[in-house]
Amino acid sequence: MADRVFHKSILRNEDPQILVGKAQYLDDIELPGMLYAAFKRSDYAHARLKSIDTSEAKALPGVIGVYTAEDFGDLVKPGPLQVPPPTAIKGATYASRTIMPIVKDKVRYSGEPVAVVIAESRYIAEDACDYIYPDFEPLDAAIDLEKALEPGAPLVHEDLPSNEAAHVIQERGNYAEAAAKADVIIKRKIYMDRVAAVALENRGIVVNWDDKAQMMTIWCGTQSPITLRNATATRMGLFENQVRVITPFTGGGFGPKINTSMPDDVLLTELAVRLNRPIKWYEDRRENFLATTSERDQVHYAEIALTKAGEILGFKDVFYHNSGAYDSYMMTVPLNTQTHTVSNYRIPSFYTEIIMVFTNEMVVTPVRGAGRPQGVFVMERMIDAAARELKMDVAEIRRINLIQPDAYPVSTGIIGQDFVEGVLDSGDYPTALNKVMEMIDYKNFREVIQPKARAEGRHLGIGICTFTEGTGVGPYEGAKITIGGNGKVSVATGVASQGQAHYTTFAQIAAEQLGVEVKDVKVTTGDTAAFAWGAGTFASRGATVAGTAIHLAAVKVKDKALALASKALETPVSELELVGGFVQVADMPQKKISLGDLASKANPMRGTFPPGAEPGLEAVAYYGPPYGATGAGCMAMILDVDAETMKPKIERLVMVHDVGTPINPMVVEGQVHGGIQMGIGNAFYEKIHYDETGQLLTASFMDYLFPQATDMPPKIEMGHIENPSPLNPLGIKGVGEAGAIPTPAVFNQALEDALYDTGVEIMESNLSPSKVFTYVQKAKGG
Amino acid sequence: MKLEGEHVFNGPRGDVWEMFYDPAILASAVPGMDKLDVVAENEYEGVMNVRIGPVSGKFQGKLTLTDVVEPESLTLTVDGRGAPGYGKGVGKATFIQNPDGTTTLKYDGDMNIGGALASVGQRMIDSVAKSMIRSAFETLDKALEARLEAKKTGEEVNFTPPTTTEFAGSVAKDMVGGFTKVPELRLILYILPVVAILVILALVLSK
Amino acid sequence: MTQLVKINVTVNGVPYEREVEPRLLLSDFIRHDLQLTGTHVGCEHGLCGACTIILDGQSIRSCIMFAVMADGSKIETVESLGTQDHLHPVQEAFMEKHALQCGFCTPGFLMTIVDYLGDNKNPTDEEIREAIDGNFCRCTGYENIVEAVKLAAKKMAAHS
Repeated sequence: MADRVFHKSILRNEDPQILVGKAQYLDDIELPGMLYAAFKRSDYAHARLKSIDTSEAKALPGVIGVYTAEDFGDLVKPGPLQVPPPTAIKGATYASRTIMPIVKDKVRYSGEPVAVVIAESRYIAEDACDYIYPDFEPLDAAIDLEKALEPGAPLVHEDLPSNEAAHVIQERGNYAEAAAKADVIIKRKIYMDRVAAVALENRGIVVNWDDKAQMMTIWCGTQSPITLRNATATRMGLFENQVRVITPFTGGGFGPKINTSMPDDVLLTELAVRLNRPIKWYEDRRENFLATTSERDQVHYAEIALTKAGEILGFKDVFYHNSGAYDSYMMTVPLNTQTHTVSNYRIPSFYTEIIMVFTNEMVVTPVRGAGRPQGVFVMERMIDAAARELKMDVAEIRRINLIQPDAYPVSTGIIGQDFVEGVLDSGDYPTALNKVMEMIDYKNFREVIQPKARAEGRHLGIGICTFTEGTGVGPYEGAKITIGGNGKVSVATGVASQGQAHYTTFAQIAAEQLGVEVKDVKVTTGDTAAFAWGAGTFASRGATVAGTAIHLAAVKVKDKALALASKALETPVSELELVGGFVQVADMPQKKISLGDLASKANPMRGTFPPGAEPGLEAVAYYGPPYGATGAGCMAMILDVDAETMKPKIERLVMVHDVGTPINPMVVEGQVHGGIQMGIGNAFYEKIHYDETGQLLTASFMDYLFPQATDMPPKIEMGHIENPSPLNPLGIKGVGEAGAIPTPAVFNQALEDALYDTGVEIMESNLSPSKVFTYVQKAKGG
Repeated sequence: MKLEGEHVFNGPRGDVWEMFYDPAILASAVPGMDKLDVVAENEYEGVMNVRIGPVSGKFQGKLTLTDVVEPESLTLTVDGRGAPGYGKGVGKATFIQNPDGTTTLKYDGDMNIGGALASVGQRMIDSVAKSMIRSAFETLDKALEARLEAKKTGEEVNFTPPTTTEFAGSVAKDMVGGFTKVPELRLILYILPVVAILVILALVLSK
Repeated sequence: MTQLVKINVTVNGVPYEREVEPRLLLSDFIRHDLQLTGTHVGCEHGLCGACTIILDGQSIRSCIMFAVMADGSKIETVESLGTQDHLHPVQEAFMEKHALQCGFCTPGFLMTIVDYLGDNKNPTDEEIREAIDGNFCRCTGYENIVEAVKLAAKKMAAHS
C-alpha cells in the first residue's frame, strides 16, 4: 500500500506561528517578579583564586545579591558525568574530572565563572560584574596537546599525575603485519581545530520555584530536558515530578545545548529557591563564544599501508584529542572519530589510539559531526596522499577499496560511542560514488573543463570524498499517543526540538497510521510533564529512535481503535480501515464512527470496564536499537581559487546521500543544506582560536567568520539513494549531521587540485586565505 | 607577544634620565593616566583609563623594578588588571649614550593580554598601541626640548602636554590615515608595558 | 538614579509614549517594553542581522541603536507583515520553500527581504545573495531562502 503522508514533502506544521513572530523562545519569557542573572567570569585561563571582593557590586542599586563559591557550600563540587566512561573497551584508562558549577580555588579555563550577580535588570546585573574584584595568581597554561603531556607541563588537575584524561587503543586485524606486506606506506600529521556551534540563539535559562506547590519549573532550550530534570531533582532532593523542564522554541542547538548540570542550571535553581523569585539568564554572543563548549581540536599521526595497485591493507591512526579543562562528556567525540575513520572502505587491519588530553581551554563536547568529520578528514586526506604517491585518480583509488553492497551487515570490530561494536547495517557505497561522479560529470570535468580552465590560467579543482554517518544510536526513546475527544491526535515524546521539523515529521508518522491529516496531529516535544522517559536530541537520532517509538505507539493506538470500532460497528477488524478521522467499513464507507466518538466510548463514565482493558485510545511505546543505523554518501565539489588572493569560490557542490527512508524529503534536504554550511565554515572560515596563554581570540563575529549567503555554492545539488535500515520498521536513518561530515575533506582535495601547479599539500583544516598562501609559498620553496 | 623597539632622544643621557624623573611629564604623555603611587621601593601602583574600540574601563596597574643598573638599564614588570581584561609584561630597558650627544632608549620584552581586550579588542590594539607610543614619544621629545631650552636660558620649563582631545585626535587621525611610520618599532607593541616603562623610568630616575 | 527620557514611537501603526533609560537598546525596547518578541537578538554586536526591523522605511539593526534615538520614528517589525491565517507573500514563500528551520533568524530575514523587494522587483540569484549577506543563518545554508525570495518576488508581482 502506498504511503499517504509518510515519505512526502509535507509543509511544516510549525511554520505559520514562527513566521508571524508568535513562537516563544527563551528570552521571550517574562514572569512576574522575575530577576536577572549575570556571571562574572575569569579572564585568566589558569590561575588560583586567592580571594574575591564583591562588596562594591553588592552595594549597587538594583543588585539583589552577589554570590561566590563560599555562598554555595556543598553545591560546589564536580557535576555528574554526562556520558558513561568507556569501561566497555578493553584496556581503556580514563580520569573523570567533571565540570564545576563555579570556581572555588582554581580557574581552569578562560570564562570559568567566579561569581553570579542577581539584579532587577540584566543591564544592572552586567554592570555589577565590573565591580567584582577577584584576586588571581596566574599560572602557566597547558594549551598545546603534545606539550601538555610533557613532564613538567602545568597540570590542569593537580591531583592527577599528568594531563592525560584517557587512553584507548582499539585494533582489528594486525596493522604491523599488514604494513610488512605493503608496497607503500605513507605517513602524515593531520589536524583540525575547534569550531563552535554558533546557534543563532544564545543560551539561557529561566527558573521558577513555586514554594507553595513545592514545584521547580525550568525553561531552557536544552537538547536533553529529561536529563536536566532528573539531575536537578537528584541534586535538590526532590521527586522527579516536582521538577518540570519545558523547552520553548529553540533557535538551534547543534550540540552544546545537550549539556546539563552547567553553572547556570546548578546555581540558579539554588538561588531561585533562596530568593523565592523567578530568575532569568541569557547570554550575548561574546559570552557564548567564551563559555559554550566547542569541538574538533585533534592532532593525528596517521599511516596508510597499500599495495602498489592502490589496495589498502591497513591503516594506523594515533591521535591526541583535546578535552578542554574537564571531561564531563567523556569519550563520545574521539570514539566517533575512531569509528568513522575507516567506515566506507574494506580495510582488514585498523589500529587506532586515542590520547585524550586536559588543557586550559573551554570544555569540548559535540558540535554537529561530533568527531566524525575528523575521522573522515584523516582517512580521505591519507587516501589523497596515497593517490598522489601512486599517481592514481582520486575517485578510482576510492572505488577499488569500497565495501561492496553484498557485504552487509559489516562488523567493524571497533566499539563506538554507544559502547557496542559498530555494525554497518546497510548501504551501497559504489552506487553513491557512481552517482556523484555522474552528477558532477567527473569525466567531462577532467577531460574537457579542467584542461581548458588551466590553459586559461584559472585554478579550478575538483574534490570527491566518501563518508559514513553513524546515526540513530540508543539507548532508547519513547512516545505517548492519545486520540482526543475532538478526533485529533496528540503525540508526546521526550526528545527536544531545535528546528528539525519534529512537529511535522513526527506528525507524519502518526498520521500515516491513524488516517488523519498531518495538521491534525499536535506534537509535544521537550516537556517533561507531557513525557519524561528518554535520552535527548543528539547524534542524529531524533527521527530514527523517537520516530520509531512514535510509529510503534501509533500502531498500538490504531489496533485499539480498530478493536473498539469492530464492537461498535459489529464488523470484524479485517474489514475496517482508518480514513479521514473515521474508522469505516472498507467496502461500505458510510458505515463508520469518528475517532472522537471512539475516544469517548473508550473512557466510560459509568458501568463496567472489561478486565485487562486500558481506557482511552492511548498507547505508549519505547524503542531502542541494537546499534546505530549508518547513513552514508559522497560529496563532490568544484572549486575555483584565485592564485593571488587565495580566495575560493565553490562553483558546484554535489551531495549524494543515503538516509534510508526519508520521512519528509524536503526536511532531509534542509538538514543537509545546513550541515553543508557548517562544513564549509569548518573548511575555510571558522576557527575557535586560543592563544598560548589560553585566551580566546575569536569571541565575536568580527573574528569568528561565519559563512554567509555569498560564501555558499550557487546551488547545492542533491542526489538521493534509499537503502532502508533493517534496524527499524520504517527503515529510517538519521541525517542531521551529514552535511558537516565530508565537507572539510572534499574542500582540501579540491583546493590541492586547483593549486596543482604549486604541488601544495595541506593536511590541516580551518583554513583561511593567509594560511593557504603560507602553504603555497612553502611548497614553491619560498 | 614580543615587544621591542628603540627611540632616539635628542639630548644627553643625563637629561633624558632627568626628564624621565618627572612623573608628571611622563604621566601626561599618556592621557588616561589617573594616578601613580609609590607603594614600596621600586614598586608603584597606578590607575589608567583604557579605551580600545568597543572595550573600555579602568586598569589597576602594579609596576615593579628589578635589576636596576643606574643609569644604564633595568627590568620592569607590569601587571595591569581591570574590567576590560588584563595585561602582563616583562621588559628590559637600556639607555645608551651616543657619541653625537643623543640618547638611544632600547626596549625588549614580552606581553600577554587577556579578557575582553584579547577577545574583542585585539585587532585594534596593534594600531592604537603603535599610535599611542608614537604620540607618547613625540610628547616626550617636545618635553625634552623644552627642558634643554630652559636649562640654556635658565628660565622655567615651558612645556604644555597635549590635551586629551588633541591626543585622541592624533590617534584617530593615525587610525584613519593608515599607520606606516615608526620604522624603529618592530613586531607587536602594547600600550601598557610601554607606557609603564616610561612612567616607571620617570619615577626611578626622579630618585 | 538615571534620568528617564520620554520617547514617542509608532510601531506597526500603533503610537506609543514611553519613558526609557537612555542606554536602553531599541531591540530590548521592542521586545520587553512593547512585548513584541518576534524580533530576535542573536549577537548584540550588530553583526548577525537577527534583530533587523524597518525604521522610517529602511531596514536597520535594532541591537546597536538606542531606543531614545528612535524618538519620532515609524517602526515596522515582523508582527506587521501578516497573521497565521493571512500570511504576507514573503512569509508564504518561506513556508512553501522550507526556508526556515529553527526560525530564530527568520524575522530578521523577512524584514530585510521585504525592504529589499520593495525596491528590487526581479532580482537574480546573485543579487539576492548579496542582499541577504548581512543576515546569518545556521540551519538552512541559505539555499531555500534564496528560492523563497525568488518565489516571493513572483507572488508580489502577481498581487500588484
